[in-house]
Order: sequence, then structure tokens, then C-alpha cells
Amino acid sequence: MPSAKDLQSLGDREIVALAKAGKEIAYRELLRRYERPVFSLVYRMVRDRTLAEDLAQETFIKVLNALDSYRPEYKFSSWIFKIANNAAIDHLRRRELDTLSLDGSPDARTADEVAATALQATDHAESPLEELESRETGSAIERAIGRLRPEYRTCILLRHVEGRSYEEIADVMDLPLGTVKTYIHRARLELREYLADLRT
Amino acid sequence: MTDKQLDTSDLDGLVLRELSSLPSLAPSRGFQDRVMARVTLPRPAAVVLMQRAGAWALQPRRAVALATAYATCVLATILLAGPWIAAHAGLAVLGASWVAGHVGAAALAIASWGVRSGVVGALRTFAGTGLRLWATVATAAIAYAASGYGLHVLLKAPRRSDELARTL
Repeated sequence: MPSAKDLQSLGDREIVALAKAGKEIAYRELLRRYERPVFSLVYRMVRDRTLAEDLAQETFIKVLNALDSYRPEYKFSSWIFKIANNAAIDHLRRRELDTLSLDGSPDARTADEVAATALQATDHAESPLEELESRETGSAIERAIGRLRPEYRTCILLRHVEGRSYEEIADVMDLPLGTVKTYIHRARLELREYLADLRT
Repeated sequence: MTDKQLDTSDLDGLVLRELSSLPSLAPSRGFQDRVMARVTLPRPAAVVLMQRAGAWALQPRRAVALATAYATCVLATILLAGPWIAAHAGLAVLGASWVAGHVGAAALAIASWGVRSGVVGALRTFAGTGLRLWATVATAAIAYAASGYGLHVLLKAPRRSDELARTL
């Protein structure tokens, strides 16, 4: 029976094999390895600690309960980041739908019906609470990342914060390699512009 | 190199430095335990098979069917063995005496061990008084009642509340 310390020297694939054999210690090792990267990614995507924790938790539960379907030829990190990213993007899309501006239902006939069925418009700027949270998180770069498109955000975080390769990011996001490179280039450009604005 | 280009490369460097210095954030305490509480660990195939077989056999109708099948097998064996024993009486007697000899020897060995080790003496002393005799009878009665209740629980028809408890 390997100890927790023994497992630290093993690769993800070996740990997954032990987990598939029912070793709880291997599950905990996977959690230990990925709880910070996954939580950091999700938190910087959704910018809400409680929500990020819920989404990270759902990600791990989904991944750990589906280890049997994991294919060893695929990187485990790519798999878990993919599920975490999908959870975050789904949430952002749902939130966007909830706050999307519409001019009321096309079936509305009276002014009251139009008003009742219209949704409030929101822009992508941060709410005062989000602004406060991002100040708490610290730096201008955190705020700048928060202003990027979600796809750019994922790419830049995986590349420059988690240190993942372009190929792995392409796997995680199901995008062609060229598109990933373009997204990262554009994201850096936007971050640069934002920081330049701050300096002037 | 112009000032603008210098500015741009400076800013690019700043962006990369800032990004790489972003801290790794941790979830709150107990995150691992909360996740593990909702993860189902795979069990060895033999254990799963045994549990499935047990659950299958403990269904009341199946338990009755199994008991009936067992009784039928025993009865069929006796019915088939009867004529064969009648036809080979000498062989049967020889076999029976061999078995009886071994069983008798084993019984004798156990009895002599009981006498030598003092178990028989202790039992005799224990059953000597009327009160102790009643205590023994009461214990045996409780054990029989508990066994009966156990059988009742095992063979009772499943109820809706049982199903709900299993799904929770």
C-alpha cells in the first residue's frame, strides 16, 4: 500500500490507475495536485469565490466519478481543465442570458407588457461588488483579465499562469492551435493596452 | 528602436511578469473532504459480485425459490439414493459402519476432551441449581426468538420505505 508521500513522485497516469483500483489515497493525491490550479482558473473566470468553489467542486466530482471513462492517451490535466473551463463558460453564458437586454417579448402589445417582458441591459463592466472583489484579489492585472472575453481569459490563464503548452490549451478548449495562438496574442494586446491606460 | 517600440516591449514584459506572478488561489478548508463525500470509490469486482449475489438471493421470492430448489435437490438425492442403497445393501452397510465408526470415534474424542478439560464438570455445576437452569433456558429462548426475528427481517417483503432508504 503506497503512502501519500510515495504517490507524490508518480505521474498522473499512475495515480489514476491506482484510483481506478479503488485507492482513496490516490483520489486525494489528484485532488491535492489540482485543487489550486482548477480553483484558480475557475475563480478568475467567474470572479466569485463561493461560486468558484461550487464549480470547482462539481468539476472534481464529475472527474473523479468518471475515472473509468478516462483515456490514458489523453493528458489528465487537459481533461480536468476542460471540464472546469466548460463549467465556468456554461455559467458565464447562463449569467449573460439572464441579464441580456431585450426589448420585451415580440408578442407584447401594450406598453406594460413590453415593460414586463423586457430584460435589463447590462454591460460587461464590473459591478461595484466585483470591482471591490478584484481590488481585494490585488492587482491591476487581475482587473484587466476580468475584462477579457472568456475565451481569451481561459487561454491567457492556462498559458501564462498555469504554464500549459499551446497544444494542451488547444485540447482543453477544442480549438485549432492557430486560433489558440491568436487568442493569446490578442489577449496580451488587450492587457497591454489596459495597463498602458492605467499608466497614463 | 523608437520610444513607442520600447514602450510596447516594456509593457509586454510587464504583462508577462504580472501574469506569472499571479498567486495560486486555494479553495476553503475542507474542500477535499466535501468532494470525497460525493465520490464513489470503485470496489473490487469480487466484493461487488458477492454483494450483488447476496442482494439477489435476499429478495423474498428468490429466497423462497432457492430454499425450494435446495429442498428439491436433497429430496431428489434421497429418492435416487434409496433404490441404489437397497440394491447394494452390503456396500451400504459397509459404508455406514465406516462413517458410524469415524463419527463415533470423533464423538468419543470430544466427550473425553470435555471430561478432561473440565467443561462437562462446569456445565454440571452450572445446571445444578434451579435458578441457573432457568437462566439457561431463558437465554436459549431469547436466542431462539432473536434468530426467528432475524429470519423474519431477512425474508420480509420489501416496503416502500426500504426502497426510499436505499435510494438516499
